[in-house]
Amino acid sequence: MKITLYFLIIVFFSSCELMEYSPNQVFDNNTPQDINKKNLERLFNTPADDTIRFVLTGDSQRAYKNAEDMVAVVNKRAGIDFVFLAGDISDFGLLGEMEWVNQIFSNLKMPYIGVVGNHDLVANGQKVYTRMYGPMNFCFTYQGVKFVCHNTNSREVNFSGTVPSISWLKKELTPTEDIKSFVAVAHVPPTSIDFDKNLQQEYIKTVNSCPTLAALYAHNHSEEIRYEEQIPYLVTNAIVKRQFMLVEIINGKLTYESIAY
Amino acid sequence: MKALRIKIKIAFIICCFSPGLKAQGLSALKPDHAVLQYAGSIGYVSVGLGYDLFKKKRGSLEFNYGYVPEDKGGTLHIASTKFAYRPWQIKIKEFATVYPVNPGVFFSYHFGKQFDIAFDREQYGKSYYGWSTAIRGHISLSNEIKLYTGEKKSVTLYSEFNTSDLYLASMFFKNNRKWLSPQDIVKLGIGLKVGF
Repeated sequence: MKITLYFLIIVFFSSCELMEYSPNQVFDNNTPQDINKKNLERLFNTPADDTIRFVLTGDSQRAYKNAEDMVAVVNKRAGIDFVFLAGDISDFGLLGEMEWVNQIFSNLKMPYIGVVGNHDLVANGQKVYTRMYGPMNFCFTYQGVKFVCHNTNSREVNFSGTVPSISWLKKELTPTEDIKSFVAVAHVPPTSIDFDKNLQQEYIKTVNSCPTLAALYAHNHSEEIRYEEQIPYLVTNAIVKRQFMLVEIINGKLTYESIAY
Repeated sequence: MKALRIKIKIAFIICCFSPGLKAQGLSALKPDHAVLQYAGSIGYVSVGLGYDLFKKKRGSLEFNYGYVPEDKGGTLHIASTKFAYRPWQIKIKEFATVYPVNPGVFFSYHFGKQFDIAFDREQYGKSYYGWSTAIRGHISLSNEIKLYTGEKKSVTLYSEFNTSDLYLASMFFKNNRKWLSPQDIVKLGIGLKVGF
């Protein structure tokens, strides 16, 4: 009798989510895929007004309760089209962490877009990120503005000269007839010691070579606003510090404000 | 660092093949049981050999190799060492013993170039990331039912709950206990042991 019961317990548990093969496994049965692609489809299928309004945040890294509070604050504001989670989605590069953060950010009323951060690349993190979110360098155009999201986590490749990919950026930051302006989005800002020093000048030159409205980052865990030849380079504060940036683009003009919660 | 990694590999291989060493004086190395486990954070499947420790076999030490195939979230190769203690036992007549709550600890080591015992100081400087990506520490609670199949021979079925250092570091970080609960970070494995 006891043995039968024991077996039933085993069968019950083996069917649920408790079964982990390794904290470093790339996916489990419930892991979502292509989050960025799916969320962009959702964005394009939502009726738009003439204002682009989005949140710039980053560094969710283990700050789950703070992330949940931020989602509640963002949901209360009207007219926000989407949210950028600009890297360090996870702290240890683990699947469980990215799943928890996605669970929290899925409660946003609007879609969110996850950009890769340095912490997302440790251990098996790169495989977890690319399977869950998609490529590390990607672009989308929303209401005539091209958002160029890219990997600037140079230290993770030991400053090999390949991150950020200047050639990819040059290709994507080329104006066309339909694209009026650009916004660059990444995790590590070019002024950081974690950015490849040898690429810094060429990177800024490349970003500024087209009608760029702003370059947006996270990583520093403190807000930073600086101008490179009149183009704002904005660094948002971290989720762990309970502050984000709200960015608006109206008639080709970009404005921003920081919101603490 | 590389030398240490090779040493760990050699130690692990020796542990695996020690029962094959028939030389005199090495009989103490003959393991007391073999183990096959599903999940439990040390592989999709893992196999290993174990030893009984202490009086009345209240403790055990196991050495396992685990594998996660690509279509299950790998590929991962994992070596692990487990220690467990059995403070309580319930005998069911002659044929079985139930060990209801066995606390334990285990360590897992992930092979692969994306996993390091410690982050490279030349690349990252001092205290950039403060943990090991290759080695995970776990605490566990298992329960077992041991069925006697002959003199000194037995078959044991068990389930083992565990959580790892990084999950604990997540739950006890700032105000996270309002969001993460123990059931978010507790993982399970089930297995079979054959005693000989």
